[in-house]
Amino acid sequence: MSSYLVRRLWQMVPILFGVSLGAFAFFQAVPGDPARMLAGPDATLQDVQIVRARLGLDRPLIVRYVYFLRNALVGDFGRSFRSGEPVASIVGRHFGPTLLLSVASVVFATVTGLGVGLLQAVRRNTVSDYVSTVVSVAGISTPPFFLGLLLIYLLAVGLRWFPTGGMGTARSLVLPVLTLGAGVAATIARFARSSLLEVLGEEFVRTARAKGLEERWVLLKHVLRNALIPVVTMIGLQFGFLLSGAIVVETVFSWPGLGWLMVQSISFRDYPVLVAEILLFSLQFLVINLVVDLLYAGLDPRVSYG
Amino acid sequence: MNKNMAGLLAVVVALALLAIGPAQTPVRAQAKTATIALYADAVTLDPYDTNDNLSLSVERTVYDGLVGFTPDMKVKPQLATSWEASPDARVFTFRLRRGVKFHDGTVFNAEAVKINFDRVRDPAQKLRRYSLYEMIDSITVVDESTVRFTLRRPFGAMLYNFAHPAGRIISPAAIAKGGASLARNPVGTGPFKFVSWAPGREIVVERNPEFWEAGQPRVDRIVFKFIPEDASRVAMLLSGEAQFAFPVTGVQAEAVAKTPDVSLDARWSIYAYYVALHTQRGPFRNMLVRQALNYAIDKNAIVKVVLRGYGRALDAPMAPGVANYTQVQAGGWPYDVAKAKALLSEAGFPNGFPTVLWLGTATETQRLGEAIQQMLAQINVKVELQPMEAGTLSAVRFKPIEENLSQANLAGWSPSTGDADWALRPLLGGGTWPPTLFNLAFYKNAKVDELLADALGTADEARRAKDYAEASRIVWSEAPWIFLYNSQNLAGLRAGTTGVYALGDGTVDVREATLTGK
Repeated sequence: MSSYLVRRLWQMVPILFGVSLGAFAFFQAVPGDPARMLAGPDATLQDVQIVRARLGLDRPLIVRYVYFLRNALVGDFGRSFRSGEPVASIVGRHFGPTLLLSVASVVFATVTGLGVGLLQAVRRNTVSDYVSTVVSVAGISTPPFFLGLLLIYLLAVGLRWFPTGGMGTARSLVLPVLTLGAGVAATIARFARSSLLEVLGEEFVRTARAKGLEERWVLLKHVLRNALIPVVTMIGLQFGFLLSGAIVVETVFSWPGLGWLMVQSISFRDYPVLVAEILLFSLQFLVINLVVDLLYAGLDPRVSYG
Repeated sequence: MNKNMAGLLAVVVALALLAIGPAQTPVRAQAKTATIALYADAVTLDPYDTNDNLSLSVERTVYDGLVGFTPDMKVKPQLATSWEASPDARVFTFRLRRGVKFHDGTVFNAEAVKINFDRVRDPAQKLRRYSLYEMIDSITVVDESTVRFTLRRPFGAMLYNFAHPAGRIISPAAIAKGGASLARNPVGTGPFKFVSWAPGREIVVERNPEFWEAGQPRVDRIVFKFIPEDASRVAMLLSGEAQFAFPVTGVQAEAVAKTPDVSLDARWSIYAYYVALHTQRGPFRNMLVRQALNYAIDKNAIVKVVLRGYGRALDAPMAPGVANYTQVQAGGWPYDVAKAKALLSEAGFPNGFPTVLWLGTATETQRLGEAIQQMLAQINVKVELQPMEAGTLSAVRFKPIEENLSQANLAGWSPSTGDADWALRPLLGGGTWPPTLFNLAFYKNAKVDELLADALGTADEARRAKDYAEASRIVWSEAPWIFLYNSQNLAGLRAGTTGVYALGDGTVDVREATLTGK
């Protein structure tokens, strides 16, 4: 088990190295001169050159990459083109809000999604199944941008129950979580329903019922556990996407997370921040995939890693 | 069994609702805190390293300049009480206000002014506003409250460069701590002291009780909130979380104006919008073609449809709010399709020609592009719209003429000094072709260049105005641009809030914010 873990962790190194190289080369190829963007359209050529020298962009790409690698190995990802702050502290500052939003949304989505999925599976082909199916399909299809603004205008501007945006008290978390969690919850519900239905048809369920077990325990102990594996994969994947910053939701709710930072950095051509963000996102996916794989072993005794 | 499951679900939902809690009574902003919702975060709070309107707007609360701008972009005294310029526009002398202190207790005097401008004009400091002040040759402390600037060459627009919001006076003690500290910890003489900056979220400033102007400031705190999404920013105003929101888009204007306790504040900007036509290549080399295109565009229809009426046709190559502007053609270039067709035929294009228009990706820009496309189709000029994201657009536009593939460029410009020099020279001066500056039309006219140089060589405002009027007339008749419109800045304001407004250059001034009642 531990040797498996070490092997998996080691495999991440070449991947991250490749990602850093790819990101660096990609941003070099993208049109747009960071020095001109920073200096502004009304800057003279002289001002632009001053900015370029200050950013170190007058050095060749390969030199910049080698410097980047050398510094990155000791945790220094350079300084933001835009503000001159160390990149690590900028990304760190925006990671917290995204983590908070992601965890809250996944918890909300998992609880709601599993609950609805379970209800649908148990009451298959009844009115409540159809209604909740329609609702979850609507949940998957509603663009978060629209849903977010709808919630803002109904619950924040109209009823004034919640702030319209920004990160403050727990109350400010509600609307972004609802918006972000709605689609994920609906997806989980659809997954859970089909997976549960599959398991409900298995023979061991009939056996469990036949031996007189209460339906509640049949569902919780036998059905749910077996139906959970694909659902866990899906939740892990969704969590990975959420952690990469929900660009639309963070923008609509002025939530200062990684997605917000990404939008800001792209428009300023703030390459050091973008490269660091991309590396972080890759690392997050690698770690989440690893955790999901380990969870399989926990859920299914047949799976084990040596 | 199924009932049990439903019960379980009901409990979960109820618990979730309880966790959310009962409706909170809407909290009115504290009587003396003004919350200002703006569209982006500041980049830095070091004025001499600033070129974005957001940072300038925040800096304006903490700092004073020698001179500043009134709401309609006229120069007014701030830390200087009076000034004089030598006739050849080379020596500028300022008399300074006495008894003023910086927020850190340092005394404001002529030496402090010298330290500030010596810093920005030193190329080794690598400050973004270097070129605004690089023409200063020497700074003399005449006495405690008199400072004299001598320029390397005459520069008639210098007073406007001093009034530029980047030209603020920083505490020498704060400068001594270095640029990185300055960018985050501004110390000035302004009506508000810097309190905190949570990047991406808010900047807070509080009342400076020792501010030099009697009766100011009138609020205890100002909180700047940064809300990039247009609809969310307006929502914040409507819900009462903010007292002022800027900008409001034309589409939202009506909703804002109709809401009780909220009003729309429309003020003329100094932005001029135009299509720059590449005058050195293709059909646009021919002046008749360029004039024909001007006749073919119905500017008033564009103002009505794209700007919802919040604008007016350009009647000169710059907006009327710019200092030393002179009207060239009342009502703008006339709309006359028949004349446009006749001119095109005369120029040898009776069947029109295809062309490509480069433009940005904002919704309003797109609509503007489509309107131009439709109008030019009437004279058989087939426009292909090529929208590009800001970074890409800037990169292709700033290529030198040999590599520059542009034909027509949809652009807008606001002269940040508020003066005609910066409205004309960077866009139409013969020495400002890309990559040097923003002359996207690659326009060059010896007479215009001569007039621009003459205006820079004098401090005589009447002569400058005459030069710029003459240059404007030449540019207008040669039509290197399709002259479109001058827009209004739209802001939303809650009832009881006054003294907060957007200036013509797109920065915001909240120094005199006042809250009454609501």
